[in-house]
Amino acid sequence: MELEKILYQYFGYSYFKPGQKEVITSILEKKHTLAMLPTGTGKSLCYQFPGYLLEGAVLIISPLLSLMQDQVDQMMKMGEKRVIALNSFLSQEEKRYAMNHLDQYKFIFISPEMVNSDWVVNRLQDIKVSLFAVDEAHCISQWGYDFRPDYLKLGELRKKLGNPITLALTATATEKVREDILNSLGLSNANRVVTTVDRPNIALVVEKWNRYNEKFDRLFQLVQELQPPGIIYFSSKKVADQTASFLRGKGVGRVMAYHGGMEQEQRILVQQQFLNGQLDIICATSAFGMGVNKDNIRYVVHFHMPLQLESYLQEVGRAGRDKGPSVAILLYVPGDEQLPFQLAEGELPSSAQLDWFFSSLKSNPDFLKENSTISPDLRKMGGFTEVQWRLVEDFLSVHLIEGIPLELIRDKMKRFVEERLASKHTNIFKMKTWIDSAECRRLNILQYFNENGDTQITPSQCCDICGVNLQNYESRVPQEGEKEEYLMWKGFLRKLLINESAPK
Amino acid sequence: MAYFDLIILYCLKQLNGERTIYSVYHLLKGKKSAQTIQDAHLFSLTKFFGVFMTLTRSSLEEAVHSMSKQGYILQSELEPQHYTMTEKGNAFLELLLKERPLPVYLDGLKYHPLTQLVWERISILVQVVSNLVYQENKYIPIQKGKEIHQWLKNVLRKHSMDRAEIGKKLFNELTSCLERGEGLNPLVLSLRLTGHQIIGLTSMQAADELKMERTAYHIEFLNLLHFLIQDLEKNPESYSILTDLLMETDPSLVLTLSSRKTYELLQRGIPFEKLPSIRRLKKSTIEDHIVEIALNVKDFSIHSFVKKEVQGEIIGAAKSSPTRQLKTIRESVPQANYFEIRLVLAKLGE
Repeated sequence: MELEKILYQYFGYSYFKPGQKEVITSILEKKHTLAMLPTGTGKSLCYQFPGYLLEGAVLIISPLLSLMQDQVDQMMKMGEKRVIALNSFLSQEEKRYAMNHLDQYKFIFISPEMVNSDWVVNRLQDIKVSLFAVDEAHCISQWGYDFRPDYLKLGELRKKLGNPITLALTATATEKVREDILNSLGLSNANRVVTTVDRPNIALVVEKWNRYNEKFDRLFQLVQELQPPGIIYFSSKKVADQTASFLRGKGVGRVMAYHGGMEQEQRILVQQQFLNGQLDIICATSAFGMGVNKDNIRYVVHFHMPLQLESYLQEVGRAGRDKGPSVAILLYVPGDEQLPFQLAEGELPSSAQLDWFFSSLKSNPDFLKENSTISPDLRKMGGFTEVQWRLVEDFLSVHLIEGIPLELIRDKMKRFVEERLASKHTNIFKMKTWIDSAECRRLNILQYFNENGDTQITPSQCCDICGVNLQNYESRVPQEGEKEEYLMWKGFLRKLLINESAPK
Repeated sequence: MAYFDLIILYCLKQLNGERTIYSVYHLLKGKKSAQTIQDAHLFSLTKFFGVFMTLTRSSLEEAVHSMSKQGYILQSELEPQHYTMTEKGNAFLELLLKERPLPVYLDGLKYHPLTQLVWERISILVQVVSNLVYQENKYIPIQKGKEIHQWLKNVLRKHSMDRAEIGKKLFNELTSCLERGEGLNPLVLSLRLTGHQIIGLTSMQAADELKMERTAYHIEFLNLLHFLIQDLEKNPESYSILTDLLMETDPSLVLTLSSRKTYELLQRGIPFEKLPSIRRLKKSTIEDHIVEIALNVKDFSIHSFVKKEVQGEIIGAAKSSPTRQLKTIRESVPQANYFEIRLVLAKLGE
């Protein structure tokens, strides 16, 4: 059957987005595939679609619990009930039920830490896995900006499952990272589908200011002038909160903050309000955006400098999915690179922490539990942040399974942390170099991803270096005012619960 | 004066210097300890039990400090964590309460464990019915969690009727309930509701929209929900759908997870002496669980834990000791241990 027909039948779309068809065809031809598709181009379709044509289950490894949940929700919403997320959110009972009925699911999402359990792996071996999909595959590479040690186990898992057809998906990965992904997964010959990282309808702008106050004033000015809806990214929850309430206080449109420190219900509401057009501006941390499918975001402002070009691009890529003219503006003040350096260091345990940790483990073996998990008491006592702790746990479990003695793991981990830190620093410098460059921003990014640069974009829509005209992105559509009916509670409830236009 | 400060001032007035300011902290946080619950009864503060679950010690201390600086309360010289009202404070509080009386329906001690559940249920019920009515089946549910979705399924199955019908019915029940509450502003609830193509406001947004202080809004929201629960309990016959908001609210649900396990074992007839080894917990922890159960589960009998005559003596001692402090009771009933005293007091509070 024609692929487009199936696409329409199962997903309701008439056309594939760039890259999707190539990836799907490659999988259906039983070839291992590495796909680099920009965010927002429907990466998940690449494993969902073949699922309907292949016999057996699709196993999807996904690193972020919230993202996984989002995807499961989306699929359920589309009417696909044979989908399950196996992660630490499940209760013991739910887990047991799911594991005993594994063959009933078509799409099985799993977080890498679940793969530590022999029980889980054994159950997976009992079912037929027709496609092994690794989402956010750059996490597998030590050169990637988001390396997760437990992703290293995936190559072995693949082998245990009998080398199923494999799809490695990522939004942004340099050539070096792509090589690394294929090596770690043990894929010697794989098809590669790599689409351009360029988003021609998004203008890229860097503005340099001398002082923090100037930068803030400029932000204030921008949000009054630019056509909403927009996202402002911050590296700090506190500043995101403060800015949102400042802007609200100044009566600038409808503004809310969004970050991981908020309660779940609030996060869902704010995200849904934004999608539904009830908000103009989100002051967000990088926690916002995954799974946010909003087509008409007109601008993305970075108030703080991202830690690497890859995340910058991912965040910028949330704008203009409707192909309409959109703009990304990064505001920079000398010294802004300090925050990324601090954040990068904060993500890794210090050498002193590691020394303490390993000597505690040695003097008190009770801290080490079966399944190579570690007593959470140690986390508290050692003052590890959540991110640091996950790294320590992952690293330890990966190496304990191989039977390496503690002293060696310690030294290995220390070296590893040093290397990671160095690589993070390099990324920050590259980001900074891009900011300081006097060449076309777009060409610069294309070069970074080893693409040949030949974009033909008019200078006024390209970047600040080429001569962007920000007036193109200023507000022309007046803000809608709905309000009133909202404040008549009875009328509002009537409208919610009684559909006057429904046929009797 | 900030609404939060008003509540603290009111609590301190009720305590009358007989407890430390941290008993206010435990009360507002909703600590399920015998002492806190006794105090809530003794000083008539049951209303405010558990209304600020995220309160921090420092924000309480700040409020106390500021009111002491303004001369509304006075620090005790002997016991620095005790405060009494000044004349100025009393007059001021009286004035404030005339302007904004205490919420009538608020009953934290009784409803605190139910409130969140009822809110989650009502919000998902309205969202799902609204989308049913508009024949929309693609939307993201605003409440996650398997249990609540299971509950919803049961409710919808039970009322399997025409979609338009169920919408109308829910509308009628909700409006008639909200109109019954005297002095309630239904917007406090309606602004928060999500439905077809409209997403409800967060608590903070609703407060801003109504130009209310956030704390005042929060209390008003609880007040409204507590009214709703009371009305459902009193007039179940008037509400065929809404009564299901209280469906299967097992009394043991209000217990902490660990206590619930202990409760289940007791229900199965496992003797108390065996519990520590079965649960691999200290005896004192199991005792804490049992006190928590006694406090929260109405028909839980304590007779197998405390002899009848000892119970009588403890009750007598408690009645003659105005502050009901455990230590004083222990001194006058030396044959009883603290566990037994706490258990009896837990039942006495009802």
